[in-house]
Amino acid sequence: MPPARRQPVRQAQNTSGPLDPDVISKRTKRHLDELERSNYSEPTGSGAHAGVSGEPDEEDEGVAPGGRTTKGRARQATISDKRQWDGKKPKKSTMNIRTAILYKKNLAVLLDESGIEQMPPGVPTYLRAVASAPLEPPRLLCSVCGYWGKYKCKRCAMPYCDINCEGIHNETRCERRVI
Amino acid sequence: MSITTCTVILDNGASTIKAGILGIHDEQPRVIPNAIVRAKGDNATYIGHEVAKCQDYTSLRFRLPFEKVGARTLTIHPLGPTRYSCQGFLVDWDAQKAIWDGLFSKEVLAVNTAESSLLITEPYFNLPNIQDIYDQFVFEEYEFRSYFRCSPASLVPYGPLLAKPNMSPSECLLVIDSGFSFTHVVPILEGAVVWEAVKRIDVGGKLLTNHLKETVSYRQWNMMEETYIMNEIKEACCFVSEDFAKDLETCRARPTRNPIVQDYIFPDYSAHRPGRIRAPGESLGESYQTLTMNNERFTIPEILFRPTDIGLEQAGLSATVAASIALLPEDLQGMFWANIGLVGGNTAMPGFRNRLMAELRSLAPIDCEVAVYASDEPILEAYRSAVAFAARPEFPQFAVTREEYQEMGSNACRRKFRDWKPVEKDSARGREPAKGKGARGRADEDDESPPPATKKSARGRGRGRGASKRQS
Ligand SMILES: [Zn+2]
Ligand SMILES: [Zn+2]
Repeated sequence: MPPARRQPVRQAQNTSGPLDPDVISKRTKRHLDELERSNYSEPTGSGAHAGVSGEPDEEDEGVAPGGRTTKGRARQATISDKRQWDGKKPKKSTMNIRTAILYKKNLAVLLDESGIEQMPPGVPTYLRAVASAPLEPPRLLCSVCGYWGKYKCKRCAMPYCDINCEGIHNETRCERRVI
Repeated sequence: MSITTCTVILDNGASTIKAGILGIHDEQPRVIPNAIVRAKGDNATYIGHEVAKCQDYTSLRFRLPFEKVGARTLTIHPLGPTRYSCQGFLVDWDAQKAIWDGLFSKEVLAVNTAESSLLITEPYFNLPNIQDIYDQFVFEEYEFRSYFRCSPASLVPYGPLLAKPNMSPSECLLVIDSGFSFTHVVPILEGAVVWEAVKRIDVGGKLLTNHLKETVSYRQWNMMEETYIMNEIKEACCFVSEDFAKDLETCRARPTRNPIVQDYIFPDYSAHRPGRIRAPGESLGESYQTLTMNNERFTIPEILFRPTDIGLEQAGLSATVAASIALLPEDLQGMFWANIGLVGGNTAMPGFRNRLMAELRSLAPIDCEVAVYASDEPILEAYRSAVAFAARPEFPQFAVTREEYQEMGSNACRRKFRDWKPVEKDSARGREPAKGKGARGRADEDDESPPPATKKSARGRGRGRGASKRQS
């Protein structure tokens, strides 16, 4: 270590009027995606252009970016072929195994192939098992300090608790994302 | 020992693999990260079990076999547009093979896979096309003699969690499995998962760690690169609040001195000093740096109970438990309320059980007993349950053999491993446990065992759960 004391903050451009609710909800979704990344290290929601693409960063792959495959292209490098244990020479794998190792499929392809979207209504699937929407309205917590957020930023709708946190919000986080 | 074939048990989680050989590692499995890690300090790559050799956990980068391959908004009728992420499924087989190769080698388990049987866990609602690849690896690459694949919760009835002395375990059991990728509510009736009533909340340990990382990076130190360290801090400091409003006030009133606030001393790898919580009043030298954990200690785990706190439009855990039970046969619902078991790493957080109990109490019918059983070691619970299941004499009947696979391919597995998928036509006669809303859940007149291909004795039935009842 030691890590650096709070990073230089992104300066928000506090110029125009309230943001479109669609933009706000897109940002929330994007933030949720960020929170599921294995090597989440840089929030992407800064500035007004964020939240458009919906695709995670390329670097999300983590180690060995050279090994990443995109549609239909085989990996350039595999890690499982590189390392041998017990001094054994590598076994000749079947076609099925080579295919699984060399071609990493994305979500759309996997879901498509699985056929679960076409399964009859009574069949429980991954897609249908998701918890239902909450009954109670969301409660507001200050996006700066975590205490109850009584007020909402007029521009970006993020909650804050008092004038102190409002100031910090305006300087640092306003517009970045919601909730 | 009279065992000629050894049985390998893999609770193959998205974060860690709990692995062992039946009869040798029954109490304590080997626990290895299911990850390939690149360390910044020495720029070395550590595969699975090798991570233990890493000296400096600063700025580790992770490559996980169970990786999210993308998240986007899909339109799935009739639910309308909903956000789905595909994390939690095994998608990077190159990484998984590298980790498994090391695990089976002399460095860890030292097994000859071609002379062994395998019991492996898979994610809930694993996709059929991904299941085929499991089968291929097991039989084509590792050439196991036989294997059984199932979800972790389906093993829990055999394990220690709800075992009561001198009593046969309840026919009804509701498992809450809160792991790295998700939190699942899984009802089990007479040994079989009632898939129609299984519910998932898209909050797991990974999301909680990332949220904590982001929160402290905004408020104090930039820890965005330090997933590993923040996970340790989460495990050391976080708890589930039993009174959220009161705890928020406590932290607000005196931010630097209150019963909740803690300082966590960062690890110093160059000094071989692991991180830890600072003792109250302990004075520290200048070389120590600390992170203050105030309301962060409980507002992060709170997301499991209130996903809307981060804008995730899903019901919290307690409401989801109630929703799941409502889908079960009415006359049995009381039994599910009274037999709730907790597994998975997140349930180890202090306060988890009490908070859940209190909320469930307010959601359950008044005349209904609510009981929640917490595991002493929730991360190992599924593994230990798997050991108990694999040790049963009828276990071999549930496994698919290499010969069966050579003859029928993955069809052999599809036919024998009972999971969420509809039973295939030719073997479907009369066994569809708890179909629909579970109204026909107890098909007493019918044998509903996971298809034991060889014989259908009372012993082989229902993974043993209903056997005694039928005989009586
Ligand atoms: Zn505040
Ligand atoms: Zn704002």
